[in-house]
Amino acid sequence: MYQFFHGLSRLMAAIGGLVLTGLIIMVCYSIVGRALIQFGLAPVHGDYELVEAGIAFAIFSFLPLCQITSGHASVDLFTDMMPDRVQRILRMLIEILFAAVLIMIAVQLYYGMESKIRSGQTTFLLQFPIWWAYAASLVSATVAAVVAIYMAFIRTTEAFTGRTLIADDQGAEH
Amino acid sequence: MSNLEIGIWSFPVLLLMIFLRVPIGLAMFAAGFAGLWLVNGSAAIALARMKTETFTTFSNYSLSIVPMFLLMGYFATLGGMSQALFKAAAAWLGHRKGGVAMAAIGACAGFGAICGSSLATAATMGRVALPELKAYGYAGGLSTATLAAGGTLGILIPPSVVLVIYAILTEQNIAKLFLAAFIPGIIAAIGYIITIRIYVAINPGSAGTRERVAYGDRFRALFAVWPVLVVFIAVVGGIYGGIFTPTEGAAVGAFGTGLIALLNGGLNRKTLVASFMSTGRSTAMIFFIVLGAAFYNGFLALTQVPQEISNYVVSQGFSPTLVLVLILVFYLILGCFMDSLSMILLTIPIFYPVISGLDFGLSPEHTAIWFGILVLIVVEVGLITPPVGMNLFIINAMERSTPITQTYAAVMYFVASDLLRVALLIAFPSITLFLLS
Repeated sequence: MYQFFHGLSRLMAAIGGLVLTGLIIMVCYSIVGRALIQFGLAPVHGDYELVEAGIAFAIFSFLPLCQITSGHASVDLFTDMMPDRVQRILRMLIEILFAAVLIMIAVQLYYGMESKIRSGQTTFLLQFPIWWAYAASLVSATVAAVVAIYMAFIRTTEAFTGRTLIADDQGAEH
Repeated sequence: MSNLEIGIWSFPVLLLMIFLRVPIGLAMFAAGFAGLWLVNGSAAIALARMKTETFTTFSNYSLSIVPMFLLMGYFATLGGMSQALFKAAAAWLGHRKGGVAMAAIGACAGFGAICGSSLATAATMGRVALPELKAYGYAGGLSTATLAAGGTLGILIPPSVVLVIYAILTEQNIAKLFLAAFIPGIIAAIGYIITIRIYVAINPGSAGTRERVAYGDRFRALFAVWPVLVVFIAVVGGIYGGIFTPTEGAAVGAFGTGLIALLNGGLNRKTLVASFMSTGRSTAMIFFIVLGAAFYNGFLALTQVPQEISNYVVSQGFSPTLVLVLILVFYLILGCFMDSLSMILLTIPIFYPVISGLDFGLSPEHTAIWFGILVLIVVEVGLITPPVGMNLFIINAMERSTPITQTYAAVMYFVASDLLRVALLIAFPSITLFLLS
């Protein structure tokens, strides 16, 4: 189970990283095109829109990994003094809340996508439907929600059995 | 309950959640959601906001700088530049009393110019400099404290992820903030070098000596760091010169450091995947806090709390400098147990209106930039203050033979240097604003 979800989360993060890299290369290409416009090159048409659509997908794709490695920033100072059992129950409640919020985000993103399909709204320059970008992000947001449910399940088991199934990684970097 | 009361009550609720270890972004999200529910009398409006707000927050063009700068930082660690920088700094400073530690600071400053993250700077330079410091007989506490403090230069010297977030929250120009951070960043590096000199004078046994390097070799070592200079000038110069947007600058930086890493053989499939994982994890963490903050601040604005607090402080006729100092002290205390980005996202929407309402004898833009740089410095002090300074942990995890209490003791010298610098910048705003005029 853990192998599967961890692998899935890493896969999503790798895809997000590739999209990020693609955007970086596209932006650089666009700058060169703009600089050498008198030599017949041109900036990428609608680069701004592509960055916006791509980066949203990349960030949603990074969420599952952060979830499964407990990478979110929190203040541990006060809870560290509490008894183990209380800490486990707190973690369970937090992870359940997290899962609920991520499910809500995915569901509302779906409704957001629906309204964009209905309105037929497109981007300004490239004229591609905005719901495409929503749909791509929705895939990643759904994976994030599923991984969050899995983590809530893990922390609940931990709270009731008193065993640690998944240890925290090192503190998040930023 | 009036909206204002709901807004004010949200503070203790939010703090309680955070102290119970609820991730900061999640806590802000939950408080914002519940607050909107109470203010509107139903959850429908809060839910409706989520239809587009999550997507628009994540697809924000200006914010896309953040993952690009993070990736740039990880590529920079792969490019062998940290070794070259340390070698160059050591060639020029190594023979002095405490010189190898000073060189570590110099190298951190150089690395900070191509890396926008403190922890990445501390970790990368730690790997390079800790073994050298040990070899030349430097005391454990001095070595770890030097690198933890040096790491903060990663954020102080532009590019800087924290400044990007501050710029977006306060709608300031990112290029001008980067430029304003430059001189305070250099002063920070010089201050740390002086701190090391003082530390070594007080504890003479804490540092060994290294033989002097001939000038020819010094210049050769210095020349080897040219890629760092090229990337830095391209990114910061390009952004400030208006050649490209800050986001484009971040893309150029990531591309440049990626290219250096590729040419130096540091970038392969394995390290690329590792860079993606680290970038992804940090990005997700940051954006979840940004999302929570957007939700919470949307709610707060509705309750008029920030405006009322600002009106209150201004109407009391407090001395502006006193208010500023109190806010900075608050950050120092908060920084002892919270990370820098969370602090900024949590507090700037409250404090920034207060500061802009006060008269410091500066233009509104200059006040915002000056305040931003001061906040940047004090939140970074939080990375090296016990008990939970993240930089201290990162470095101590790499140098296990030094007890953390020794690091704590030595790092207080660097904290003192930071505080002195803050006092200097408060007394003379022109130091920060000099490059802008």
